[in-house]
Amino acid sequence: MQDSLQTALRIAASGLQAQSTRLRVVSQNIANAQSTGSTPGAAPYARQTISFESEMDKTLGANLVGVKSIGVDSSPFKLERDPGNPAADENGMVKMPNIDVLTELADMREANRSYEANLQVAKQSADMLNTTISLMKDA
Amino acid sequence: MSSIYLFEVASQKAQWLSARQTALAGDVANANTPGYRAVDIQPFSAVLDSSPIELATTNPAHLSLPQSEAGALREIEVEPTEQTLSGNTVNLEQQMINLGDVNRDYTMSANIRRAFHQLLLSALK
Repeated sequence: MQDSLQTALRIAASGLQAQSTRLRVVSQNIANAQSTGSTPGAAPYARQTISFESEMDKTLGANLVGVKSIGVDSSPFKLERDPGNPAADENGMVKMPNIDVLTELADMREANRSYEANLQVAKQSADMLNTTISLMKDA
Repeated sequence: MSSIYLFEVASQKAQWLSARQTALAGDVANANTPGYRAVDIQPFSAVLDSSPIELATTNPAHLSLPQSEAGALREIEVEPTEQTLSGNTVNLEQQMINLGDVNRDYTMSANIRRAFHQLLLSALK
C-alpha cells in the first residue's frame, strides 16, 4: 500500500486535471458562441458537454476522478434573421450555436471553485508531509 | 502496556489522519461526479477500540496472526446533508472544514510526539 498522504496528493491532482479539462471545454464553448456555418443552411458550432466519473485506481486503492466523456449538446440551434451572413438559408435565417453564455459562465465559476478546493487539498497534504519530515530535523 | 505507549497512540493517530485525508481528497476530487456518494473514515475511537487480538504462541509450531493495522481504517458513507440532481452528496464547504480539522490535529499530534521525544532525550542526556 502506498503512503496515504501521497495518495491524497495524487487524488487532488486528478481533480485538478479533470476541472481544467472542464474549463477548456467551457472556454471553447464561449469562444465559439457566434460561430456559424460557412455555407447556406449549414449547421453552426454545437455546444460541447463534459461529464466526470469516479475511477478506482487499483495500485493506489483510491477513487480518482476522470473525464468520462466529452459529448455534444443535442439541443436545437437558435434561428436568427441575418440575410447577409454566408450561412443564411433562402429565407435569410441563420442557425446560431446552441450556447447560452450565462450558463457557460456559471459552469466556469463552478469549475473554478472545485479547482480551488482540490488545490487546497493538495496544499494541506503537502503541509502534513512536511510536518512529518520536520519531526526528524530537530531530534 | 509500556510507559511509552504514547508513541504508539500518536502513530496510530497519524495513520488515521492520513487515511482520513485520503478519503476527503477523494470526496473533493469527485465533487462534480454524478452519482458519487461522499465517504469518510470511521471515528478514531473505533481504531482505539479495535486493538488487535494476539494469539498466544506457547509452541514454536503455533501460527501468529498478522497484525491488521488498517483494519479499522474503513471508509463509511456519510449521511448526506444535501444531494444534487445528479445524485452527488459531496458538500464542499463541509469538506473544507473537515480538511482544516485534519490538518490541525495532524500538526498537534506531531508536536506532541516531538515534545515527548524531547522529554526522553532530556532524560538521556
